[in-house]
Amino acid sequence: MAITTIPHRRDVIKDIKNRGGLVAAVLPIHYSRALLRAFDIFPIELWGPPKVDVSLGGAHLQSYVCSIVHNALSFLKMGELNVASLILIPHTCDSLQGLTSVLMDMIKPEQTIFPLYLPRGQREEDVVFLVDELQALYAHFSDFTGKYPTNEELLTAIKREELSDLLLLKLHKNRQQMGLSNIDFYRLVRSREYLSAEHFAALAENALQVTGETAGGIPVILSGILPEPMKMLDVISKMKGQVVADDLACCGRRLYQPGTSREPFRRMAERIIYAPPDPTRGNSIAERAEYLIEMARNSGAKGIIFYEVKFCEPELFDLPNLRNCLKEQGLASINIEVDINNLLPHQIATRIGAFLEMLDS
Amino acid sequence: MGMTASLKYYWNVKVTGQPFLYWQRRQAERYPRIPSRWRMDILSPPLRIGARTKELISRHYLEGRYASGHRPVAWVTSGGPVEILQALGFYVLYPENHGALCGVRGAVVELSGMAENAGYSTDICSYARTDIGSVLSGKTPVGHLPKPDLLLACTNICQTVLYWYRVLARHFEVPLILIDTPFVYTKVSDHALGYVKKQLENSISISEQVAGCRLDYRHLKQIIRLSKDATELWQEIISRGRHQPAPISVFDQFIHMAPIVEMRGKKETVYFYAELLRELDENIAKGKGAVRNERKRLLWDNLPIWYRLRYLAEYLGEHGICVVSSTYTNAWGELASLMNSEKPLESIARTYISPILNQGTKYKLDTMKRMVKEFQLDGVILHSDRSCKPYSIGQIDQRNKLIQEFGIPALLLEADHDDPRAYADEQVASRLASFVEMLDD
Ligand code: SF4
Ligand code: SF4
Repeated sequence: MAITTIPHRRDVIKDIKNRGGLVAAVLPIHYSRALLRAFDIFPIELWGPPKVDVSLGGAHLQSYVCSIVHNALSFLKMGELNVASLILIPHTCDSLQGLTSVLMDMIKPEQTIFPLYLPRGQREEDVVFLVDELQALYAHFSDFTGKYPTNEELLTAIKREELSDLLLLKLHKNRQQMGLSNIDFYRLVRSREYLSAEHFAALAENALQVTGETAGGIPVILSGILPEPMKMLDVISKMKGQVVADDLACCGRRLYQPGTSREPFRRMAERIIYAPPDPTRGNSIAERAEYLIEMARNSGAKGIIFYEVKFCEPELFDLPNLRNCLKEQGLASINIEVDINNLLPHQIATRIGAFLEMLDS
Repeated sequence: MGMTASLKYYWNVKVTGQPFLYWQRRQAERYPRIPSRWRMDILSPPLRIGARTKELISRHYLEGRYASGHRPVAWVTSGGPVEILQALGFYVLYPENHGALCGVRGAVVELSGMAENAGYSTDICSYARTDIGSVLSGKTPVGHLPKPDLLLACTNICQTVLYWYRVLARHFEVPLILIDTPFVYTKVSDHALGYVKKQLENSISISEQVAGCRLDYRHLKQIIRLSKDATELWQEIISRGRHQPAPISVFDQFIHMAPIVEMRGKKETVYFYAELLRELDENIAKGKGAVRNERKRLLWDNLPIWYRLRYLAEYLGEHGICVVSSTYTNAWGELASLMNSEKPLESIARTYISPILNQGTKYKLDTMKRMVKEFQLDGVILHSDRSCKPYSIGQIDQRNKLIQEFGIPALLLEADHDDPRAYADEQVASRLASFVEMLDD
């Protein structure tokens, strides 16, 4: 499949605007795309784009706040979010909570800020709370747009996203048969961050029809928040590694299953709450370890690269235990911390190379 | 609970330990001794209540030492709703307070190092690192910490505690109660309150199971009343900082706040604070200030720098500066009005969703502005705490707004509440020196 068929984020935004649609800039990690789309709002995700003037964010945030948050704020201050009518910030971690509050209380950008609190458990009360929270968001969006989508319209939007997510899941499962390089695969699946469900589904269906030579290489799992700078994926390829599955917040942790409830808000809530384990949603270390071990078993991965954003507490706390559990199962792992603004330092490439070599031997 | 453990507890705590600590305190009260390095030229002698504080804290850790097997033990986050656990007879331990104590006693580098050797990053909260290091190594400056039978993490201070307590739950293999308190960006929503209340209700059966007894609601109400009384007294105490000269500095408050954090819901905490208030009022009547020659008055934002309390108190005291109020100590008093023993669960839900750390940056800014006016302050020190993001994010704008609105100097001081490795002595000294100059301009 020619990766050039994936439209650029800017062109997608231009297209939405030309059609009179509203753009929402959405920060990591979990939210309901369907809820936005039911209001004709198109989510474009903002995962702290690299190559921004970080001093702009630095005027409001201390240096010990992660680069995702720094970059998101810098991007906003550069005026790059002027195309967005609103900013949705799911409550992912203390740092994004802080950013939301600074935006709402101090910076007050032109766009309306909508926070979404995600509960930290998977209990019935967490589902009920998230249902209420999504309903409150519905009310805010109604005030904002003057629209009142019906339950049927909500369900249509949900099913559209579910279809797209099923195709995303299939892409993840078939990745080794599609003949895509590491970087091309992630360009494709990450386009879900800004393409509409319909557009992404078409792209995914096309991609799934193409079969290529099974990508060889030393099979590894990638865990962490996101694969940035993306060049890191090329480094893995060059060092003869192949990412066969992932536990990345922007990808594998968002392989949401279709819901079952006929009540739209409950269905949206359940999809998020029962998604693959994620420390930011409060899954236990045991659940995460079990999930990773299973993932390694199914994908044939020999090891795991924990590719972490510096200062990311949700990730850092689980690491020692996770790595021990993996070790007990004979799975090697490595921990690499990055600031997404830095070009991939030589040292990181060397460490990845040494890790892959070790797995190979 | 075991007979041998109970006998040990009674013998070591009730029969020998507590009477000894009482005797020690009485001696200290009868023959007060001023620490040899105390700067009497700049600071008033330590408050008399210090002997009682020491007794209370020592008693608390002494009880902890012999609690296992005699009483159920819970480890709880500092902002956790402890009243239910108190009513069920749990011995409650706060790892953050233990972390603070390790900070004061200079044990953090060693303990945190043990956690770091086990793979924990230096970028996670230093309280958590200290605690995990202590758990892994069994070392603590207080001799021994009782193993928990139950863990309770409440997200009203940060999400960090959840990740931290998940590590503890895995280590100790005990149940973890999560009380998730949605962040209050603008106002508390009804569904958020309902969510917290539901979790409290559900936590009761787990706690009852671990405690092996049923919750007596009359007892719970009594404990809430005591919590409220202590909190109100604490509020009164810190409000005395308005007086000029202030009879208590925040450095004293940091030391004497341990009971309001660790021992809410107990009679002795109420007596303790009533006594402290009496002493402060006496000092006000005598015109005695915490800093002998108080010329300037400051606000402190964020957690203390536990390992440099003395240095900061003396450095500022030397220049006639008294830090008279802080958002941190205020946090333990400002929720008193929300506590209502007649509506136990509703009021616990409302109280514990409302701490300053669970509210937006504007709320903290407004609190600081109010303090600047009410306490007639000349400047603000905002401790930018490397390992406490929820308290620190927003400080840059808060500082700018305070400077703009009041035209007073406001200093952002980079450090860490517990880890001295994130503290640069020379840099802090030079920044403080220029700040002091600005105060005098
Ligand atoms: S990288 Fe970690 S700390 Fe930063 S926004 Fe994402 S989850 Fe939060
Ligand atoms: S991150 Fe801050 S609020 Fe949370 S436990 Fe650490 S010091 Fe306390």
